[in-house]
Amino acid sequence: MRKPRLLIVDDEIPFTSNLLKLLSRKGYEVSAVNDGYSALRIIEEQEFDVVILDQKMPGIDGVTTLKELKKKRPHMEVIMLTGHGSIESGIQGLQLGAFNYVMKPITFPELLEQIVHAYERKVIEEERS
Amino acid sequence: MFVVGRLMFGQTKPAKGVNMQELGFHTRSYSKLLRKFILVSVTCSVLPLLLVGWISYLYYSQFSRSRMVDYFHRNVEYNRRIVESFLEERAADLKLVAFTHSLDFLMDSSNLRETFHILNREGSYFSDLGVIGEAGKHVAYIGSYDLMDKDYSVTFWFKEVMAKGVYISDMFEGYRMTPHFIIAVLCSKGDTNWILRATIDTEFLSSLVETARIGKTGEVFLVNREGVYQTSPRFKGKVMDKMPLPMDSFTGESGILITDPIRSMGSVVPEIGTLISDLFKYGVMESRSQQIVAYSWLKQPEWMLVVKQDFSEVFEDINHVNMAILVLLHISILAILIVSVFTARYMIKAIKKRDQEAEGLNRQLMQTSKLASIGELAAGVAHEINNPLAVILTESQVMRDITEDEQSLDGNFKEELVQSLSQVDAQVQRCSHITQNLLRFSRRMSASSQFVDLNVSLKDVVGLLEKRANTCGVQISLDFQEKLPEISTDPFEMEQVFLNLINNAIDAHESRPYGSIHITTRFDSTRNGLVATVADTGSGIPDEDLERVFDPFYTTKPVGKGTGLGLSISYSIVKHMGGEISVRSEVGKGTEFTLFFPCMNTEQTDSSENSRKDKLDKKA
Repeated sequence: MRKPRLLIVDDEIPFTSNLLKLLSRKGYEVSAVNDGYSALRIIEEQEFDVVILDQKMPGIDGVTTLKELKKKRPHMEVIMLTGHGSIESGIQGLQLGAFNYVMKPITFPELLEQIVHAYERKVIEEERS
Repeated sequence: MFVVGRLMFGQTKPAKGVNMQELGFHTRSYSKLLRKFILVSVTCSVLPLLLVGWISYLYYSQFSRSRMVDYFHRNVEYNRRIVESFLEERAADLKLVAFTHSLDFLMDSSNLRETFHILNREGSYFSDLGVIGEAGKHVAYIGSYDLMDKDYSVTFWFKEVMAKGVYISDMFEGYRMTPHFIIAVLCSKGDTNWILRATIDTEFLSSLVETARIGKTGEVFLVNREGVYQTSPRFKGKVMDKMPLPMDSFTGESGILITDPIRSMGSVVPEIGTLISDLFKYGVMESRSQQIVAYSWLKQPEWMLVVKQDFSEVFEDINHVNMAILVLLHISILAILIVSVFTARYMIKAIKKRDQEAEGLNRQLMQTSKLASIGELAAGVAHEINNPLAVILTESQVMRDITEDEQSLDGNFKEELVQSLSQVDAQVQRCSHITQNLLRFSRRMSASSQFVDLNVSLKDVVGLLEKRANTCGVQISLDFQEKLPEISTDPFEMEQVFLNLINNAIDAHESRPYGSIHITTRFDSTRNGLVATVADTGSGIPDEDLERVFDPFYTTKPVGKGTGLGLSISYSIVKHMGGEISVRSEVGKGTEFTLFFPCMNTEQTDSSENSRKDKLDKKA
């Protein structure tokens, strides 16, 4: 199985740059943007398997971004990531098709595990369809 | 994951002062309200009662008075007619004798005696009988006085009878020098005129008049136009004395007077020119009380029959009834007062109870709103901290990766660096726990809901903390009721509640060499729920701190040891479960937390949220 292509959407620049470094070291093909609009633009140009999406961002928030992403790329798996998660936004995210909803700060191995599971599910879904 | 809060024992005591002031204010307020209730209640009840009582009294008094006055009036009229008839009959008797007998016949003393006896046959009306010639001399006389040959030609009554034919005199003394009155009849036969004269028995007249007397204070007498007694009054004065009452009071043929001697003290009796007060002073008038005086004038002679009685005696029955009404009125007012006091006290008690309940609810509301606002703040703080923490974690991971990849680095240095990075991770995790708690506090988020055995949960927590407790010299004893029903809740949250409480209980023994923590559970069938208590023998909590123990960030633990969120999270969790948590404490003796977990409500209230959470977990 090839390594998944990842997109990180988070307004916390140090966080995205660190993840870029870490995930790249692990052999992932990673891109990062800092807001929802950029994310919607980039998926028009590139294919991604898993998106790590922050909940609270300037411009459009994570849930709205997720909605739009899923419209354009229904099979793309999204892991919602937030430092301010609430039950309601988590449920909303899951209802909109997010793979999971995880809280910051998350350790890198935990995040990797989530990414792997998300990608596995995407592969399974693609095989089914 | 738990945070243990601790209380600030070294606080000053402003809260207690405020509470005492509030207590004083409430007590004054309730006392004032009680007085108002009683006043309003008594006024509303007593006023109509007094009004009705007063109207009844007035109506009854008026009615009785008019009836009594009417009775007096009829009585005096009746007796006047009796006296009048008596005098008329006696005059008629004399006329009959005069016109049916000759002068010669009557001049014979034996005949006159015979006639005298015949006249007195029905009663001793006459005390003497005499024949007086035209010249005014006594020509015949039967009686106890020696009046033969006495000359009456100059007397007032002789002139009157000669002029009028029949004359009834007023009381006078005459030749016999003793008060008496006479009836004289003029008889004319041809050229001869003579007079038949008789003296009426004064005693008989007096006894006749006395029949009209009423009651113990009643008095009946006759007076002439000049106000001179014609019969002796019962109490003060005697026949031919001047009556102290002013004659101008007696207007018309008959009437009723109400005399008030006390009010008339300063007035003068015109007939005698004396102050009424002096009449009392010299004993002429005796009764100082108000009197009712009924009078009626006789046609012939011009005498007035006076019937008097003390007002108090006349209206004795009425006064008795009025007194009974007055007593009843007082009893009623007393009863109203007692009932009002009891009712008002009962109402105040009910109001006080309702106020206390409202105050309790208010406190709960304030606590909830305080927690809500702090929750919002906590959520914001958690978010702001979580993001940098996430950055730190990733930075740490980057450094770890670089260290691992860098072959040129010294092995020991690498090891130390990795250890330091692990420490960074550990501290980030610690911060993360705090922010998780903050978020949990703000959201009251529970991961999952399942049926939890309270005893099992508590035993797990005690197992975790027993070692620490033993180290601190604290013994934990358990008293669990067996076979408790399970409650639907998050087991971790349940454990967190007791972890906080037992940790606090252990901390409360810090300044003591040893102590104990007693934990109990039982089923409360009346409230259908479980009750757990955690009691320690620690330092206790001052009164002023008790109100704040569930406030977030309220702690007495040293910096870095407690966040002050432990008890507020416990409070939040228990409330979220639909339960209750309360605390009572005594400084120096210990603290007891009592927790109540409902058996049914928790399941019902959480069902919708839990289903959503289950969905969330399944998807995850």
